[in-house]
Amino acid sequence: MKITKDITIEDLIEEYPFSVKYLSTKGIRCIVCGEPIWGTLEEACIEKNFTEEDIIQAVKELNELNKQNN
Amino acid sequence: MMTKQEILDKLGLSDVNMGLTTGTEWFDTKGKTTTSYSPIDGKEIASVKNGTLEDYEMVINKAREAFKTWRMVPAPVRAEVVRQIGLALREYKEPLGALVTLEMGKIYQEGLGEVQEMIDICDFAVGQARLMNGFNLQSERPMHRLTEQYQPLGVVGIVTSYNFPVAVWAWNSALAIAAGDVVIWKPSSKTPLTAIATMNIIQNVLKDNNVPEGVFNMMVAKSSVMGDNFLGDKRVDLLSLTGSTAVGKRAAQIVGKRLGKTLLELGGNNAVIVTPNADLKLAIPSTVFGTVGTAGQRCTTTRRIIIHEDIYDNFVEKFVNAYKSVEKKIGNPLDSNTLVGPLIDKYSVELFQEAVTKVTEEGGKVLFGGDIAKGQGLENGLYVVPAIAEAQNHFQIVQEETFAPIVYLIKYSGSVENAIAINNDVPQGLSSAIFTKDLLEAETFLSGMGSDCGIANVNAGTSGAEIGGAFGGEKETGGGRESGSDAWKVYMRRQTSTINYSTDLPLAQGIEFNL
Repeated sequence: MKITKDITIEDLIEEYPFSVKYLSTKGIRCIVCGEPIWGTLEEACIEKNFTEEDIIQAVKELNELNKQNN
Repeated sequence: MMTKQEILDKLGLSDVNMGLTTGTEWFDTKGKTTTSYSPIDGKEIASVKNGTLEDYEMVINKAREAFKTWRMVPAPVRAEVVRQIGLALREYKEPLGALVTLEMGKIYQEGLGEVQEMIDICDFAVGQARLMNGFNLQSERPMHRLTEQYQPLGVVGIVTSYNFPVAVWAWNSALAIAAGDVVIWKPSSKTPLTAIATMNIIQNVLKDNNVPEGVFNMMVAKSSVMGDNFLGDKRVDLLSLTGSTAVGKRAAQIVGKRLGKTLLELGGNNAVIVTPNADLKLAIPSTVFGTVGTAGQRCTTTRRIIIHEDIYDNFVEKFVNAYKSVEKKIGNPLDSNTLVGPLIDKYSVELFQEAVTKVTEEGGKVLFGGDIAKGQGLENGLYVVPAIAEAQNHFQIVQEETFAPIVYLIKYSGSVENAIAINNDVPQGLSSAIFTKDLLEAETFLSGMGSDCGIANVNAGTSGAEIGGAFGGEKETGGGRESGSDAWKVYMRRQTSTINYSTDLPLAQGIEFNL
């Protein structure tokens, strides 16, 4: 597991650029006004009313996408 | 036009640059390296070493120490440093303007304009330094003087965005430094080189004037190093942040928890009203500049045009024709013929495309553009054909700010009050404009029942503000004001003083308190 819920959105975008599109489909805009939003992946999920299970699932899916991209 | 290497050489930039200075001293930090790529061709320009948490501590301590000295330097003497910075910026206007273009992608004329804004605010601050005055008020007590004065505030944190990578720093710094504050600048990670170049330009001025280390600080850092901790740091007396409403809300909460001060310049959703009394010879070119200038990446970019039904078809025909001319001038922003350069990165292009799709899904109609531009020199996919879409104001996508060149045309009927209601019916409140030759319409727009934005123009577009006026907006734009007018006050601590020069001790409100 490389991606955790504690990763900042800024690092997530830089290291795993595919995350932007994935999170967009989940209603999370990582980039606003051309700049990454501040805070962690978990915080961004909570702001969009994700449950704890939703967050675990999102992290899992992001890691699966990462494997596919590698 | 200078080559990339000539630009870098003139500004003292290397392949790998240090990303931390306290004025004239530079520090070889151990943080990650950020590579800056040009949106023009996607090629690497140079890279920058980021600061660490330890570096942040060093900077903040140095800044606080420097403040103890700097606050006691007379304001006009402090402003003399600002004046010389303005002269240095004049000397480096062309290479710095070109670097802004190279790193951010705005056309060269706008790059030069950005540096001119820096120069203008330096000139403004020099005069303002002698006018940072309070009031003498009439005391109700005999032989008492009641006075107000403004004192230096402390450490000013400045967080800037990529779209105005250096001008926003100058708006804040010129006034803050003249006011006796010290500044810590966190530039955008997308445009760190322009920040380093700016600090290179000013460092000889700082040396020549023996400005203490810690007065002018700049650190390139990730938000994990200079993010919430920066916002929450009680040692930062004012946090000036230019960016998205999302980041601004976060900043307001964190700074608010410690009852700190913020100056927030956040998103806009700016509209132009075109009434039946508009002069379209003014309205069309002005509005096109407002919609496609900086490829739609200004806070003040025109996002909505509210057009009266009687002139709607005529306006749309002319507006679309103007866009056809613009389409031929999409290209390398360093080329003097170009009017629209690239977007900052592929994510911005995706958001642009997403907006085009969404407005259609919600029932709107794309009248022009919306595609990725094709052609020689445009192969990196960051150039888009600016889009015009018919829409309704209540569409979700219209209520949001898309930081790209897509403009929504909205029809109104009846009186100007109806257009104003549409203008105001968005969460943001930065800039607005009306095109009309009718005095009653213009004054209604500017009245208490008019535009609810921080900026309201008549027969001039939403973007392109002068530095002489206070810049900022209401509602989700954050409420801050920077640049001209009395914006200097936010950088100072207001103090009311009562001086008793009698031998009695009368109390206010005639209260008797006899021991």
